Amino acid sequence: MMDELDLLKKDWQTKEGNLPKLSYDEIHKMTWKKSSSIVKWILIISVLELVLPNLLVLLFVGTDDWSNNDLGLMANYYLGFNILYYAIVLYFIYQFYRRYKEISVLDNSKNLMRKIIKTRKTVKHYVIFCLAMILVFFAFFIVSFYVDDNILLSIEGIAEKAEKVPLEKIKYAAVWVFALGGIAFAVFMGGVYFLLYGLLLRKLKVNYSELKRLEV
Amino acid sequence: MNKQLEHQFVTELENNQNIVHKVCTLYTNNRDAHNDLFQEITIQLWKAYPKFRGDSKFSTWMYRVALNTAITLYRKSKRRIQTQDYDSVIFKIKADEYDETEEQQLKLMYKAVKQLNDIDKALVFLYLEDKNYAEISETLGISEVNARVKMNRIKTKLRTILNP
Repeated sequence: MMDELDLLKKDWQTKEGNLPKLSYDEIHKMTWKKSSSIVKWILIISVLELVLPNLLVLLFVGTDDWSNNDLGLMANYYLGFNILYYAIVLYFIYQFYRRYKEISVLDNSKNLMRKIIKTRKTVKHYVIFCLAMILVFFAFFIVSFYVDDNILLSIEGIAEKAEKVPLEKIKYAAVWVFALGGIAFAVFMGGVYFLLYGLLLRKLKVNYSELKRLEV
Repeated sequence: MNKQLEHQFVTELENNQNIVHKVCTLYTNNRDAHNDLFQEITIQLWKAYPKFRGDSKFSTWMYRVALNTAITLYRKSKRRIQTQDYDSVIFKIKADEYDETEEQQLKLMYKAVKQLNDIDKALVFLYLEDKNYAEISETLGISEVNARVKMNRIKTKLRTILNP
């Protein structure tokens, strides 16, 4: 019996006449269209992810409520924390850019997929870092409540409350609010992110694992 | 990018568009999706064209970009609606050209190939296009031995579909 695929091959090569035919102008028009490839989406989403948390921090810190004056003893630590934070952010942006540049459609399929996943991984690590920073940020305030009573009192409305209720009680409540709030915020942001990430790369990951499976 | 390069590219693609159409036919199920994928492949080819040095044939170079776009870069667009399955249009089997059993078999074969996963389809496509195992392995980034093993498995799979 003839090899089925060879039978198909013979037929395949005679079928060219049935294929659609585009004109020069139609193809020419296409070269001006915008790509909607996965790499394009990764770039857009990643840039948003790199920029958004920092915008949030800047908006938050930029308000009068969080000016360094209120932080008292903790101000220096806060400054140090910021410098470290931005150094790490810059490192991530550099890494992302380097890996993004490595992606080429001219690579073989396996390498192409590997590089896209690697680029995405950089952003994934960055997001995990940001989530951790959210927790650190909240923890920082919890600690500062104990170090310096003025920080707690500087929050609007607390000073008046403190006249009626013992400060220890308020402190206790504030710690819980900040701890639970921090965790809830981090979990929510993480959930949104990983859902987005999973949807975008689902097909690519299936194909990549299929190619990798072949190498075992 | 300059006009001459653009003209050269569009002419080359116009002459070799069958390769892209065949990839689109394998990886999509309706005309809208076909056109969508064709467009994305064209954009990717055009973006990569300045790096094409002409040390290989334009068509050879196209296979890699077209397949990479289909199995890796292409995202199905949401606006696509499921219209009628048009495989029958592309792969129309003319009754007078084949005897009945062969026609039936080919129909089944095309159907079976369309059911394969993205990677298997890529292997079958390159095989149908008469590429040797060295080229197949180079395009996909797997070893030649593994390409052969995989191809044999696909053949067995197809054979089972045809002769249950």
